[in-house]
Amino acid sequence: MKKRHLLFVVLGILVLAWPLVLHGVFIQHVAALLVLAAISASAWNIVGGYGGQVSIGHAMFFGAGAYGALAAYTDFGWPPVAGVPLGIIAALLIAVLVGLPTFRLQGHYFSMATIAAVELLRILLSNVSVLGASVGLMGPARPRGLADLSFRSPVPYYYLFLAVLALLLVVTAWMERSRLGFYLRAIRGGERGARSLGVPVVRTKLIALMISAGFTALAGGLYALMVGFIDPESGFGLLISVKMVIIAALGGAGTLWGPLVGAAILIPLEESTNALFGGSGTGATYVVYGAIIVLISRFLPGGIAELVQLLSVKARRRAA
Amino acid sequence: MLLEAQGIVKLFGGFRAVDGADLSLNRGEIVGLIGPNGAGKSTFFNCLAGDLRPNAGRIVFDGHDLTLATPEAHARRGLARTWQVPVVFAEMAVRDNVMVGAFLRHPQARAARRKADEVLEFTGLAAQADAPAGSLGTLGRKRLEIARALATEPSLLLLDEALAGLNATETQVAIDLVRGIHARGVTLIIVEHVMSVILSLAQRAVVFNQGHVIAAGAPQAVIEDEAVIEAYLGKRFRRPVP
Amino acid sequence: MILVQLVTDGLLVGAVYALLSSGLTLIWGMMNVVNFAHGDFVMLAMYVAFIAVTTLAIGPALFVPLAALVLFGVGVVVYYALIRNVMRGPMLAQILSTFGLGLVLRYAMFWVFSANFVSLPDTLVGGVLSVDGLRLQYSRLLAGVVALLLTAALHLMLTRTALGSRLLAVAEDRTAAMLVGIRPDPMQALAWGIGAACAGVAGALIALFFYISPLVGDSLVLIAFVTVCLGGFGSVPGALFAGLAIGVIESLSSWFIGAAWKDVVVYGLFLLALWVRPQGLLGKS
Ligand SMILES: Nc1ncnc2c1ncn2[C@@H]1O[C@H](COP(=O)(O)OP(=O)(O)OP(=O)(O)O)[C@@H](O)[C@H]1O
Ligand SMILES: [Mg+2]
Repeated sequence: MKKRHLLFVVLGILVLAWPLVLHGVFIQHVAALLVLAAISASAWNIVGGYGGQVSIGHAMFFGAGAYGALAAYTDFGWPPVAGVPLGIIAALLIAVLVGLPTFRLQGHYFSMATIAAVELLRILLSNVSVLGASVGLMGPARPRGLADLSFRSPVPYYYLFLAVLALLLVVTAWMERSRLGFYLRAIRGGERGARSLGVPVVRTKLIALMISAGFTALAGGLYALMVGFIDPESGFGLLISVKMVIIAALGGAGTLWGPLVGAAILIPLEESTNALFGGSGTGATYVVYGAIIVLISRFLPGGIAELVQLLSVKARRRAA
Repeated sequence: MLLEAQGIVKLFGGFRAVDGADLSLNRGEIVGLIGPNGAGKSTFFNCLAGDLRPNAGRIVFDGHDLTLATPEAHARRGLARTWQVPVVFAEMAVRDNVMVGAFLRHPQARAARRKADEVLEFTGLAAQADAPAGSLGTLGRKRLEIARALATEPSLLLLDEALAGLNATETQVAIDLVRGIHARGVTLIIVEHVMSVILSLAQRAVVFNQGHVIAAGAPQAVIEDEAVIEAYLGKRFRRPVP
Repeated sequence: MILVQLVTDGLLVGAVYALLSSGLTLIWGMMNVVNFAHGDFVMLAMYVAFIAVTTLAIGPALFVPLAALVLFGVGVVVYYALIRNVMRGPMLAQILSTFGLGLVLRYAMFWVFSANFVSLPDTLVGGVLSVDGLRLQYSRLLAGVVALLLTAALHLMLTRTALGSRLLAVAEDRTAAMLVGIRPDPMQALAWGIGAACAGVAGALIALFFYISPLVGDSLVLIAFVTVCLGGFGSVPGALFAGLAIGVIESLSSWFIGAAWKDVVVYGLFLLALWVRPQGLLGKS
C-alpha cells in the first residue's frame, strides 16, 4: 500500500511539473488535448461506465458547452468563459429531455435515442444563423483582457484542464463510494434485481446523466476556450461522441482511472496515426479506432482495467 | 392482516398463468406455497412483488394498496423477495450486493456497510464478502439473494425455491436460517417442492394448481388432501419430469 | 397532383427503407441485438454495386444479387467472428462491437475512396415513366417494386416455410428450440446473413438513384431505427408499413418544409415515438 502512495505522489509531481522542463509546443498541445479527452471520457463514464447506459451521443453535451461559450462571445460580447454556464444549463435540459423517455426502456434504446438526438441537434444547428449555421462560431481573435482566457501557449490550458479533471475525479470517487454509485452499478448489473431492492432506476439514471452531461458540457466549453472555434461537426459530430466511449472502454469503463489510462494511450496514438497517414482527413485514424473498439468488445470487455486485474490475480497466484 | 391478495389474474397472451388467486397473511406467519410445476407460483410471486402487473385483482400490503405499484415501491413498503433463478449483480462484490439492499434504509455508506456486514454474518456469507458475486455457485447466489433482501429490512419476505437443490445437511442449515429470519420478526411466504421443508417450517400450506388456490390449511392435512394428490399425480403422469 | 406525385415518390423510397429495416428488425427480433453497423452494410453494398458496374460492366439484374450474396457472407462471418461471443456479454460490449465494426467499414471505404461522392451512370436504368402527368423515374420504380416484393417474400418465408418456423422458434425461446433439436447457432448466423443481405439488396437498389459515399450509412441506419421503432421490434410487416410511412413523410416534409429539414422531422418523430409509445406503433404492448 505504501509503495502505491509513493507512486501516486511521483506521478502527480510529474504531471504537474513536466511543462517546466519540456518546452515543445506540440507536446504541450497534445498534453492539453489528452487531459481534455480524459475529462470528457470520465464524464461519459459516470453514466456509460458505472451505470451501463451506453450513450453514443454525448457530443450533444460537449457541443452545447462549446456553443454556449462562443455564442456568449459572438452574440453578447461576453468573455467566452461566462458562456460556459449557459452551455451547461442547455446540456442539463437536453439530458432531461433525452433521458426521461428512454430510461424506462432497455439499454440499447437509450443508445439509439442518443444518436438520433445528437444528429437532430447537429442538423438544427447547421440551420440556425445566430449560432453560426454550418460555418460555426469563432472566439475573440485577440484577447481583450485576461477574462477572455486566451493564451498563446497551451500550458495555461493544460493546468486549467488538470484542475477540472481533478475536480471530476473527486466527484467520481465520492460517487463511487456513495449510494448513487452503488445504485448505478446495481442498475448495470440488472434492473430487475435492482428494482426489487428499492433502487429508483429512472431517477438514478437521470441524476447520473445530468452529472455526466454537466461535466461533458464543461469539457466542451474548455475546448472552445482553447481552440476558439466550433462548428456543428467539431461540436456535435458522431466522432466526438465515439471518442469518449472508446477512451473509457479502452481504459476500463466503470472504473475511476480507466478513462485516464484510455486517454493517455489513445490521444498520443491518434496524433501519431494522423502524422503517419497524413492528417485526420484520410480516415485511417478512425479505422484504428473502430478496430480497437471491436477488439475490446470481443476480447476484453472490461478494458485495460480488466487486464491489469487478471494479471495481478495471476501474479498473486504465482506468488502463493 | 399483513398481506391480502384477492382475485389475482395474470395473462400471458391468452394463457392464464395466474387465474383468480387469493391469499391472505397475518403478521408473523410462515406460509408454504406449493403446487406442481407450472402452477403459477412464481408468476403469483411476481405479481405480489410488483414485478408483474396483475390483469385483475387487488393487493393490499400493510394497509396500502400496492396492486399496480412498482417493485421499488414494494421494497420501500417492506416487501422483499428472492428469485427462483437468482439475479445477483455478478460484477459486484458480495458485500456490495448486500449494501445495495442496505442503502434502502441507510442512505449513508458507512451505515449501509455496517448493516450489510451484520446481514452477511447472519447469513453465513461473511467469508466471501469481498469475492465477486459472479464467482458464487447457485447455492451461494441464492443465499446472497436472501442476504440482499434481508438488508432492505423487510416485514415480509418471499422466498422462491430458495432451498431447492440442497443436500440434507445444507437443507438443515437453510431451514435454521429461515427460522432465524422468522425469529427476527419477518413474515415469510416460501415456495418449495420438498415437502419435508414445508412440513418443518410452515404453519400453514397453500396449494396452487392451474393458477389458483385449490387447498389451504395445516401442512400435514393439506398434503393428504385428495384434490392435492390428484393435482400432483395428474401432472406427474401427464408430464414426466425431464 | 403534386401531392400524388410526392406520395408516390415517398412510397417508392419507403419500400426500400422497409427492406433495409426488415433486415435490422429480423436480427433484433431473433436475438435482441441492435446492429449499429446496419447502415454501413448498406453503404458497403452500394460500393459493391459501384465496383461491379465499373469493373464488370454488369447491370442491376446481376449486381443486386451479387450485393445480396456478398453481404450475406459478411453477415454470417460477422455473426461467427463477433456477435456470437458478445451477445451474452455486457451491454457495452454488445453495442461497441457492431458500432466499432461500422466505424471500420465506413472509414476503410473512406480511406480507399476518400469522401468524394460517386454514383452509378444515369443511363443504367434511365428514363422516366409518365402516366397521367405522374412522372416516375424507372430507377426508383424498379428499386421500390423489387424492395416491396422482397420484403413480402421475407415475411412469407418467415411465416410459411419450415425454415422460417425454425428461425422463429429460436427467436421465441433458444432453449426450447434446442430441446426440439434446432441448433440455434446456424439459425442465428442465417438471420445475420439474411439481415445483412436485406441491407445488401437495399444498398444496391438505392445506388440506382442516389449518390454513394462512405458516410451515407449514417442517416440510413437512423432511418432504419426509426422504422423499426415505429413498426415494432422484430416485426417485418411493421417495418413495411413504417418504412412506407417514413418514405412519404420524408417526401412531403422535404417539399413543404425544405430538404434540409427532412431528417429533423424523421429523427424528431423517432424521439417522439420513444416518448409516447416505446414498444412501437404497431408493436404489442
Ligand atoms: N413471461 C412469461 N411469458 C409466457 N408464459 C410464462 C411466462 N412466465 C411464466 N409463464 C408460464 O406460466 C406458467 C406458470 O409459470 P410459473 O413460473 O409461475 O410456475 P411455477 O408454479 O413457478 O412453476 P415451477 O414450480 O416450475 O417454478 C407456466 O406455464 C409458464 O410456462
Ligand atoms: Mg417457479
